[in-house]
Amino acid sequence: MTAVIEARGLKKSYGATHAVDSVSFAIQPGRIVGLIGPNGAGKTTLFKAILGLTQFEGELSVLGRDPRSERNELMQDVCFIADVAVLPRWLRVSQAIDFVAGVHPRFDRSRATDFLRKTDIKMSSRVRELSKGMVTQLHLALILAIDARLLVLDEPTLGLDLLFRRQFYDTLLNDYFDKERTIVLTTHQVEEIENLLTDVIFINRGHVVLDTAVDTMAERYIQLTVSAENAARARQLGPFYEREVFGRVAMFFEGRTAAELTPLGELRTPSVADLFVAKMQGGA
Amino acid sequence: MNTPDVTTAAAAPPASMTVQQSPQKVMIVLFKRELWEHRNLWIVPVLVAVLMTLTAFVIHVGNFGPNSHAPRFFTPENRLAWFTIMTWAFSVPQYLIMSLVATFYLMDCLYTERKDRSILFWKSLPVSDAMTVISKLLMGLVVLPLGVYLLAMVFGVLFQVIWAVRVGAGSLPYVAVGWNTLAWLKTQGLMFYALIVCILWLAPIAASLVLVSAWVRKNVFLWTSLPPVIAIILERVAFGTTYIAHLLEYRTWGMWSALGVNPTPPDGGSQGRVVSLADLFDNVEMGKAFLNIDVWLGLAVAIAFVFAAVRIRRYRDDT
Repeated sequence: MTAVIEARGLKKSYGATHAVDSVSFAIQPGRIVGLIGPNGAGKTTLFKAILGLTQFEGELSVLGRDPRSERNELMQDVCFIADVAVLPRWLRVSQAIDFVAGVHPRFDRSRATDFLRKTDIKMSSRVRELSKGMVTQLHLALILAIDARLLVLDEPTLGLDLLFRRQFYDTLLNDYFDKERTIVLTTHQVEEIENLLTDVIFINRGHVVLDTAVDTMAERYIQLTVSAENAARARQLGPFYEREVFGRVAMFFEGRTAAELTPLGELRTPSVADLFVAKMQGGA
Repeated sequence: MNTPDVTTAAAAPPASMTVQQSPQKVMIVLFKRELWEHRNLWIVPVLVAVLMTLTAFVIHVGNFGPNSHAPRFFTPENRLAWFTIMTWAFSVPQYLIMSLVATFYLMDCLYTERKDRSILFWKSLPVSDAMTVISKLLMGLVVLPLGVYLLAMVFGVLFQVIWAVRVGAGSLPYVAVGWNTLAWLKTQGLMFYALIVCILWLAPIAASLVLVSAWVRKNVFLWTSLPPVIAIILERVAFGTTYIAHLLEYRTWGMWSALGVNPTPPDGGSQGRVVSLADLFDNVEMGKAFLNIDVWLGLAVAIAFVFAAVRIRRYRDDT
């Protein structure tokens, strides 16, 4: 299968800072990829590059197109929601639907209105009259009604309460996602989405520090919880990160087998969130 | 960079080229969008047209009794001329106010989407930057003036109807009326022609406002008005010359000389005769305006400004 997004040696500097430095990765169709990194890691820059919103060096292909020169064509197959891409306050709900229907050849009006009927949003309301959660629902309704191949979400649930966030991801998964579509998203609430991701890419200081499918993560990473007396022995096996929890030590190993570690303590596959912290503070 | 092979081509949805909205349809949607956001674009012209029409109820014309000199002055010819001038005068305030509305609109059009941070929402849809910028320029430079032209025409007729009713009811002297369809058509034709020339002539000014609107971070008004003023003052102080001032004046008001309208009627005009706009229409030398190199130079500059505004909107990276 041809990758939906393929980056090779992607670079972007703002003055002396390298926001993204020689990044390479490939995202396959039908995946839900979490792009995870601390603030200022380069996630937004990467998104902007993918969406053709910024210039960069290196190679980048999105749905077989170069976002720098083929942005207009690309936008027919790519949708995005970014926390900085806000709906204008003067826009009415009905106008928003009319507008997208008028300019987007792949927009299905009835899908959008069906979705909105399940919410408290009125067609005649202006965006300024809606709560933040409702605005996100509206945005989601518009985006989900577009038959796009790639959906890019940059902190889509920022500032929403837990109920809205849960609903947002449920809708995304149930009403939208299928094996021909690809979703790439960032969020700070990693715990909430880790069950939904098929792949994770960790990025830190402009570098990719981890790029793996979630189901093969267990083969590569093991979290070992050891008592204090076994800690020294475990340490000889070279954990890339450790932290103390209630007098016991949690160690993170890469490329060790369960057989090597079982005698030392309890084993588990680290959660994405734990692995993220371990990678950022230890192995990066 | 990847050439899709047969298997992926089959699995993937059809290439996007197959579904395309026609540019004309998209342009109409973009115009609507501007009218939704900038409601002054239609509220103000409609309001002004209604107010102008209402004046038909209140205008008072002195009573020309049989002893006054009115009958001599209001020859059938002069009455016809007054009719055309009234038609023209009815629309002038509408155009003046429209030009203010258009100026503020054009200064704002590409600035507000950055100010309210909605630009990335607009850019998430398959509308090119060129389409967006051109739609905004056309809105302020062409659609709005043509809309005001139609408003002035329709409400102008309404004005004449009210006027005629008042004359019929005896509240205005008979001399104050004189509908003439041919003269009306010619007056409308003359105004339409002048409008087109104005649009072409002012295109670089309008495009420069769009460019400033695409470019500035804040204070659009200052960035629009201060640079020319400073340039004029600097030129004056440094070289003691006034080229910039003259150039700007020419670009703002010079179209009247470019129109090719000869204000003197063919018979040379006679004492006490009022010039009819219908006669002016007969004497327009259209070639003079459309062969005027300054019209096309201005248009070329306007295109360059639009190009620059498109580039700025396309590649700007500070949101």
